[in-house]
Amino acid sequence: MEKFDVAIIGGGSAGLAALKHLSNLGKQAILIEGGKKIGTKNVSGGILYSKNPAVGKVYNVENIFDNFLKDAPVERQITKYILHATSKDKVFSLDITPTHNYQSNFGYTVLLNKLLTWFAKEALQSAENLGGGIVLGVHVKSIIWKDENTIIIETDELEPFQVKAVIAADGVNSEIAQITGARSKFTSSELYQGVKVVVKLPEGLIEERFEISENEGAAHLFAGDITLNHIGGGFLYTNRDTLSVGAVYHYDSLIENPVEPNELVNALLSNPFVMELIKDEVPKSKDSYKNLSKEEELRARFKSNKLIKSWKDLHQAYYSSSRISDLLASGLYKTKDDIKNKIDSIHNELVSKYDIGFETNYVELEYSTKLVPDGKRGRMKKPYYKNILFIGDAAGRGIFVGPRIEGINVGIDDAVRAAESISKSIDQNNFDRLGERYSKLVEESPYTRDMNEIDKNYLKTFLDCTKQVPKDIVGHRYGTIFKLMSSNTLRNISIGFANTLGYKRLLPILESNNTYTDVPVEIAERAGRDLQKSYSITIPTIAERIAKLDYNDDSLSHIKVLNSQSDFMKKMVTLCPTKCYSIENERVMLQHEGCIECGTCAKETDWKHPRGEKGIIFQYG
Amino acid sequence: MNPDGTLNTAVIVKLEPDFSEGNVSYNADGTLNRAETKNILGPHSAVASTAALYSKVKYGSRVSVATMGPPIAEAALQQSQLICDADELHLYSDRIFAGADTLATAEVLKAGIKKMANGQPIDIVFAGHRASDGETGQTGPQTAWKLGYPFIGNVIDYDVDIKRGYVKVQRLIKSYGYHDIIEEIEAPLPIFMTLDPSFIPFFNTISQRLKLARHQKEAIGRSSQYKEYLKVFSAQSLEVNSKAVGLPGSPTIVYKVEKIPRAKANRKADVIDGSSQGNIGQVVTRIYDTLGGTIIK
Ligand SMILES: Cc1cc2nc3c(=O)[nH]c(=O)nc-3n(C[C@H](O)[C@H](O)[C@H](O)COP(=O)(O)OP(=O)(O)OC[C@H]3O[C@@H](n4cnc5c(N)ncnc54)[C@H](O)[C@@H]3O)c2cc1C
Ligand code: SF4
Repeated sequence: MEKFDVAIIGGGSAGLAALKHLSNLGKQAILIEGGKKIGTKNVSGGILYSKNPAVGKVYNVENIFDNFLKDAPVERQITKYILHATSKDKVFSLDITPTHNYQSNFGYTVLLNKLLTWFAKEALQSAENLGGGIVLGVHVKSIIWKDENTIIIETDELEPFQVKAVIAADGVNSEIAQITGARSKFTSSELYQGVKVVVKLPEGLIEERFEISENEGAAHLFAGDITLNHIGGGFLYTNRDTLSVGAVYHYDSLIENPVEPNELVNALLSNPFVMELIKDEVPKSKDSYKNLSKEEELRARFKSNKLIKSWKDLHQAYYSSSRISDLLASGLYKTKDDIKNKIDSIHNELVSKYDIGFETNYVELEYSTKLVPDGKRGRMKKPYYKNILFIGDAAGRGIFVGPRIEGINVGIDDAVRAAESISKSIDQNNFDRLGERYSKLVEESPYTRDMNEIDKNYLKTFLDCTKQVPKDIVGHRYGTIFKLMSSNTLRNISIGFANTLGYKRLLPILESNNTYTDVPVEIAERAGRDLQKSYSITIPTIAERIAKLDYNDDSLSHIKVLNSQSDFMKKMVTLCPTKCYSIENERVMLQHEGCIECGTCAKETDWKHPRGEKGIIFQYG
Repeated sequence: MNPDGTLNTAVIVKLEPDFSEGNVSYNADGTLNRAETKNILGPHSAVASTAALYSKVKYGSRVSVATMGPPIAEAALQQSQLICDADELHLYSDRIFAGADTLATAEVLKAGIKKMANGQPIDIVFAGHRASDGETGQTGPQTAWKLGYPFIGNVIDYDVDIKRGYVKVQRLIKSYGYHDIIEEIEAPLPIFMTLDPSFIPFFNTISQRLKLARHQKEAIGRSSQYKEYLKVFSAQSLEVNSKAVGLPGSPTIVYKVEKIPRAKANRKADVIDGSSQGNIGQVVTRIYDTLGGTIIK
């Protein structure tokens, strides 16, 4: 049997950071990832933070990946952080950039497929020299102990192999946690469901519309009627030439009041404020060509598709200064106006010759969903089992408090702590206290503190921002809350109050329909500005969204329904983001082919990740 | 084998018209319009290249890839190198090679193979099952015969016992209307094998996967600078007898290619109502009769 020092299971942000750091420490590690390519199974919002807490130290991405600031394919550095309260055609906006800047070095928007591919390249360079590396398209299915310090890993694809320690970075739906019994499945109160679409928008339009420069980015958060009465909110982040638009809701509130994930994201997309941010000129697809013979029609379709492709490409390029320079340098165009003329001439040809219309709409690229663990409630108190250390989402470590949405950075911090612990065990050739050592390091992390208690300075920073809410909307049922926001003394009292209450008792107050829906709706209605819809939006149907996704179908189902008549399973008919569940004769049936591996149905199913290389292939993440 | 015990392997490949949709073009008389059709590494050559990659990953073999053809055939070598991370590329290109049949081609390939790996003997030669534009399937066996190597065709898997200098292969034998048979053969090296199109290399240990990933990465780099690995040989530098190559060395002459007229469909269909058990039974019996008793439960 082949032997290695360490196995890392899962090649998401946490697993790859672990591989890089172990390699930095000169330790041999093999990372096993189920996807055929890195970054095809991972979903984030996402802003990647680098933090600088007042007390204690966290390990940031740039500490692990030395070339990060120079080289990493990040999207935009967030310089504006704005919270919007919505109600129908009204919105009230609050600049909360100070909460974003709070104890933070930077926050970049990222698309995980791109970023993780880069992480893998960097990690591999160091890992290979030590006889380690990354093995793709392999699904770990079980773990066997030969003796206390010898772990045998079995996969669906390879011969078993032996290691001394394991880092389980297999995400929120960790099978390793189930196989070892290290924790039970997360309950619905310990989870959020995150859903997202990636929207295409030319670079220049993003900069113009969000009032940012080439190097800047904006993050917008939403609460109010867009939540459809759930606890959580929406987000819209600017990437280089795409937008990430999505929503994260507490799973409990979804179970209580089930709404299709795709409706939740649609509520956001069809909000008049969001509509204005995402709109673009779009060629309309054409269903029928009248009066044309079959052959002529084929030719017309072929030609017009080709033209549409060139139009789209030039349309994108025209709004990007770097692409314009490239086009001018290529000699194809002499001036920027030449490019514009070319775009117009293709446009005219499409309209006059092929009867292709143009409209104002938006362009959606990818729909995705994933569960997110709520570290405040679900983090593993003992994030290990024997020589297996759990990191990132697998250990339930996400920080979600109000406008704070952090998981990637937390997983990276865990990864360093796990790698340091294992490295020490290898050096001393003693793994006896590995788990405890790691657990202690995790307890020391400022992130763990943030999961345990409310950071009163953060709360104060947030409440200070709410000063912008006009004082005069008092004297009704949310009067106290508004007063609290606008009065210095009350703010200070409330922070003191929050401190004495403690997190456990404060959470239900902070995370309630009041805070996420009712109060924002009230603010929007009383103080918001009126918005007008300038176009009518066409949102893809769920079937169209699924049709756009890329899958490597498996004939075997990776999910087994255990009780087809339970209430929970019946709710999956609504809550599964890709409609894999249906009801027939009072029984819930699963069609696994459209599954995007979000984990929403995991609680009451026999849930595994698909075999190696199989299943969803996200292009953006 | 090399002095250090590593295997030397060779792959014979061919640049072929790309028969995939949208890339192939025919003349009015039904013959292939070669000028208009895109050329790529033949699909069977790609399988042979994969078999070489397998030996590289599993046994650390050295791989040389060869083709005979005009200078544009370099493209086949480059594409093969991208698959198998070849250490050496050979192009046999000379006007006098033109018009060669399989025998004359085999003569050139034999001479080339002898010049591979700095003249070290080649242990395994891999070739495709057949070419998609020639269809004869003879070049491989004839080259083997000229080299004096035993020939094994339709290989779907192989294992080398380096210590003993033996190779164990599995061959897929299809007989129409009967079970497929997998035959296992052991033979001493050197050997010439052609691969069945269904050959898929399986890398089932961590080390093999790591090596595979390393070779795939290296192959991208190498094939982007394939000229550094390329050696071009003429009839003279190959030291072949000009009477044994090209048209003079070709006993077969293609006189004319004719389109085979499409046979008229001659099928009789009975519509059977599937709702009754008895009717289904009929269908099963019919299938059973047609296949001559080879139904597997
Ligand atoms: C909509 C949404 C918005 C978010 N926004 C943000 C944000 O703005 N900022 C932020 O910091 N965080 C955000 N998060 C959270 C963040 O995305 C996650 O915390 C983070 O991506 C988790 O990384 P991970 O490496 O722990 O797990 P994952 O990325 O889930 O990686 C687990 C990997 O393990 C593999 N795997 C699993 N089981 C096996 C097995 N048995 N064998 C082999 N491989 C296996 C999987 O294929 C997968 O690649 C958001 C999440 C969502 C869903
Ligand atoms: S079947 Fe389950 S895991 Fe798959 S997409 Fe639906 S809810 Fe998510």
